[in-house]
Amino acid sequence: MAYCKIVGALDNALQKLLIVLMALLLLDVTWQVLTRFLLTNPSSFTEELARFLLIWIGLLGSAHAYRHKMHLGVDIVVKSLSPKVSGFIAKIVQLITIAFSASVLVYGGTKLLLLAVYLEQKSPAMQLNMGIVYFALPLSGILLVLFAIEHMLTDTRFENNEIPVLDEEKL
Amino acid sequence: MDLTIWILLISFIILLLINTPIAIAIAISTILTMLFSMDSIAALTTVAQRIATGLDSFALLAIPFFILSGYLMGQGGIARRLINFAMVLVGRFSGGLAFVNVIACALFGSISGSAVAATSAIGGFMIPAMNKEGYDKNFNTAVTVTASTTGMLIPPSNILIIYSLASGGVSIAALFMAGYLPGMLVALGLLVMCAFYAKRNNLPKGLKYSFSEGVHHLVAAIPSLFLIIVVIGGIIGGFFTPTEAGAIAVLYALLLSVGVYREISFADLPTILLKSVQTTAIVMLLIGASAAMSWMLSFEFIPQQFTQFILTLSENPLIILLLINIMLLVVGTFMDMTPAVLIFTPILMPVMAEMGVSPVHFGIMMILNLSIGLCTPPVGSVLFVGCSIGKTSIGQVTKPLLPLYAAMFICLLLVTFVPQISEWLPRVVGLIE
Repeated sequence: MAYCKIVGALDNALQKLLIVLMALLLLDVTWQVLTRFLLTNPSSFTEELARFLLIWIGLLGSAHAYRHKMHLGVDIVVKSLSPKVSGFIAKIVQLITIAFSASVLVYGGTKLLLLAVYLEQKSPAMQLNMGIVYFALPLSGILLVLFAIEHMLTDTRFENNEIPVLDEEKL
Repeated sequence: MDLTIWILLISFIILLLINTPIAIAIAISTILTMLFSMDSIAALTTVAQRIATGLDSFALLAIPFFILSGYLMGQGGIARRLINFAMVLVGRFSGGLAFVNVIACALFGSISGSAVAATSAIGGFMIPAMNKEGYDKNFNTAVTVTASTTGMLIPPSNILIIYSLASGGVSIAALFMAGYLPGMLVALGLLVMCAFYAKRNNLPKGLKYSFSEGVHHLVAAIPSLFLIIVVIGGIIGGFFTPTEAGAIAVLYALLLSVGVYREISFADLPTILLKSVQTTAIVMLLIGASAAMSWMLSFEFIPQQFTQFILTLSENPLIILLLINIMLLVVGTFMDMTPAVLIFTPILMPVMAEMGVSPVHFGIMMILNLSIGLCTPPVGSVLFVGCSIGKTSIGQVTKPLLPLYAAMFICLLLVTFVPQISEWLPRVVGLIE
């Protein structure tokens, strides 16, 4: 299906971005430790950058983890139901996920972003507009909606799919 | 209790039962409850903002680093050197490999922050080794699963960092020190049970090393064990924050596994980074959603109402502690540890304060309690990983697990009713009053 191919390509790009962000986070905090101990002149922006990187990794990573069905849930009841019923319930949960992503992350997140841009809310150390930080909310929301639609299209066999292994060759 | 509490409880339970991702279930039931006292636009924007600001914390950054260092240590030859070290210490006794398993898990826990990492790193080597010596594979799996939970208490521990956040800033250093004795107590309890089992089943003695071999293995483990001094010494001594200690742990693990032991190549790193991102993101979404929920809880005065309700049940603090423990055991059976800690800490903290239980003591008690849930069927991430490594089923592991649960349960009672087990060490080093 063309839709699944596009979403798959999106997730691959997302994986690469997440790996880069995580490596960046490690370098950033390493730099902070180095400047504090060796140069005794702590760099002022590293702590802020690290916190913002974590927001991005947490939110975008959540969308990626959702696609690979890694989020924690209580599956004991669903597992004991017939495949048909549990498949139907899975669809409802996917709709709930779409509702959450669209309302909280995309709508609420965009409101927050626009407010930060309008008020010219700047971060103390880097003077970064907080709108850039909050942009992770709607972006993650859009990805979650796309991935949830993909699950709705592909989970036709009414099964509790196992967690798909990530395509390690593609990295 | 108010109508708002019922809306919260019922919507949350229904969402959980239909297998909604817990983080999303938390966010949605929070919004539904908020709709009673504010309009929908305000509710959605507030929840979005709480999710973002909930993640905006430098202390939280320790979590991705300890996750990453855990993966590096598991794959990078560090786990095996710890096993060899434990083998020299206790391998020679009857049932020696079971003792080695417990001690290696505790040692791995003392350099890494996650129980699942310990299960796969130590269990991946020890379960096959024990099978080969003719130990029952269900027993081997049961020992690994229970022993790996000692890493939740023995620092560095990700769950203690999450508790520190959920409790509104209890010192991570104090919690780390508080975890040592209870963690070792659980390990000791498991060792005793293994000794009984070994005696009854006439388990074979393990390898006895010559003096020079013994020294060789001890020396080989020193670089791995040195991490404890760097990480814990650094945090307790106030040289660096837990987050900086986490970054140092990653660099040190990288240096050992890529540079010295050469068991991880640079080509492996992107996969390991991605795995850490996945584990981190799952925890972070839970933390963000719980931040929204705990804001709503205090906005609606729910913890206070819950406290009043609990205190009407009994006047005796011992009985209330016992009731709360039973409730947490039930919760832990069905829910993973991270969401359970995030949800129940803000609700139970005021009850504990009312009864004079210190936040440090309560944190250790709750995490030991939920550790038992982590290895009880039907739900338990550590149990699942253990069973897939041990190539057995949850049903078969249950019987050998029973005496090990008993040991953990006795430890839980001791830790609950003897606060000194948790509080003595942090008090000695001056981290709590």
